[in-house]
Amino acid sequence: MKCFQCGCELSDKDFCTGCGADVKLYKRIMYVANRFYNDGLNKAGVRDLSGAIVSLRQALKFNKNHVEARNLLGLVYFEMGETVAALSEWVISKNIRSQKNIADDYINDVQSNPTRLETINQTVKKYNQALSYCYAQSSDLAIIQLKKVVSLNPRFVKAHQLLALLYMNGEEWEKAQRILHKSLKIDVNNTTTLRYLKEVEFMLEGDETAGAKKKKQNVSKDAVTYQSGNETIIQPISPKEPIVGVPTILNVVIGIAIGLAVCYFLVVPARVQSARAEADEQLRLISENSDEKTAQITDLEQRVEALTDENAKQQEQITSYAGEGGALQTVDGLLETARKYINDPEDLDEVSDELYKLDRTYVENGASEAYKALYEELLAQVGEKIAEDCFREGTALKNQGDYSGAVELLEKAWYFRNTDAEILYILAETYQEADDMDKALELYNQLLTSFPDSEYADMAEQNIADAATAGSHRGGEEGDENTPGQPTGGNGNAGSAPNADGNDTGGGA
Amino acid sequence: MINFEEELKNFHPSLEIDEAEDAIYNQDLTDMADLLVNMIKDVKDAEN
Repeated sequence: MKCFQCGCELSDKDFCTGCGADVKLYKRIMYVANRFYNDGLNKAGVRDLSGAIVSLRQALKFNKNHVEARNLLGLVYFEMGETVAALSEWVISKNIRSQKNIADDYINDVQSNPTRLETINQTVKKYNQALSYCYAQSSDLAIIQLKKVVSLNPRFVKAHQLLALLYMNGEEWEKAQRILHKSLKIDVNNTTTLRYLKEVEFMLEGDETAGAKKKKQNVSKDAVTYQSGNETIIQPISPKEPIVGVPTILNVVIGIAIGLAVCYFLVVPARVQSARAEADEQLRLISENSDEKTAQITDLEQRVEALTDENAKQQEQITSYAGEGGALQTVDGLLETARKYINDPEDLDEVSDELYKLDRTYVENGASEAYKALYEELLAQVGEKIAEDCFREGTALKNQGDYSGAVELLEKAWYFRNTDAEILYILAETYQEADDMDKALELYNQLLTSFPDSEYADMAEQNIADAATAGSHRGGEEGDENTPGQPTGGNGNAGSAPNADGNDTGGGA
Repeated sequence: MINFEEELKNFHPSLEIDEAEDAIYNQDLTDMADLLVNMIKDVKDAEN
């Protein structure tokens, strides 16, 4: 404790040892302040918050610089939901002692959470709004607001009290009682709360008494009461139970109907849905299998088609080898010819026929080397002689007028000796005489192409020119006189050529 | 029997946070010690 005049620390004397001031009364004031602080502290310890407020305020009236009392008063205010009042006390406390003051922590704790501070402010505003509703006789609106207030700030004692007062005014005693009990849990010895609670309990007791009386009257009407020894017996006048058969049956029927309805509206659709889903799943599986099978069938069809084509090709190949005119037959033919020639080298007729039958195109293009070699060997052995014989016989037949036989033999001679221009010329001439001008002209042209320097080339040209002249003349005669033309082959020896021996083989042969 | 109107008069608007500053400044902080000091000062002034 310090002297109020000089600030020196006071001793146990009644005067200041520093300045000599009389501090007896001052000390008493400080002691009283401390006593009120202790009282307030004790009351706060047992949650007598309103009592603590009174004591602490008294302490501060004696000593405004009692920091502990002021801090405790702030805490008590804060506990009762009076946050602004609490902050005010802590700010003043901080102003009195700026260092080592717990109020600093309290202030920081409140201010560090802006959301909480805003909620507190809203609570206060709603409480004030509710109070204004009360003054304006709008109890319902006030109750609504106060309900919000106590939900946001459950320690706001004044809000609880006002809400309870409004309930009491509306004769809602039980609600008021509940609110007041909540308020008492915060501030156990609040005079206002206790006064309201007493009133509420009184009113509730009155209601219970009236209700009990009414109940008793009802019992007395429906029952006979008599005393048996120390016991009071209440016997109903009509002991019969009410008939419950029909309503029970009705209830059972209604229950069954409800059960069926539930089954119809809930269970059946679920079953139908399930069955439909199952069917859809099966359909999907079948569809997938069908697609797979279709793909397999398409694949197999393609394979069958490919195999059929391959089979046809192989068949063609087999035919080309083993069929009529095929390679095998051709080879067989050549081998047969060789065999005949070996057996009888003098008999060239059959050998020439067999060789003539062979396909020269095959020999030149598709035959094997061995085949070619055999063929060439045979041809070298017998070809020249056969050609000579055929040419001679063919020329003879031509001269005799047997053109078809001559053509056959001359063709064979040309087959075996296709380097002889004479054979080709005689063959063409034979065709001309046989009245096959197209073939004759073709062979003449072939001769001109293959043997242009040959002596037969000039004769071939002459024959072609003569044939052209005869054709135009015959056309003119046919146009003027409609008379048949003369065969070009019948005009003497103009187209004839010397035979191989140099003799004239013309019409005079 | 509680009179609602009379009871209502005991309830006063609570201080909002905006009003805290004014409340702090307007708070009467005079205590018994101040009164004593003033009284002693007055007595001394009267003696002089």
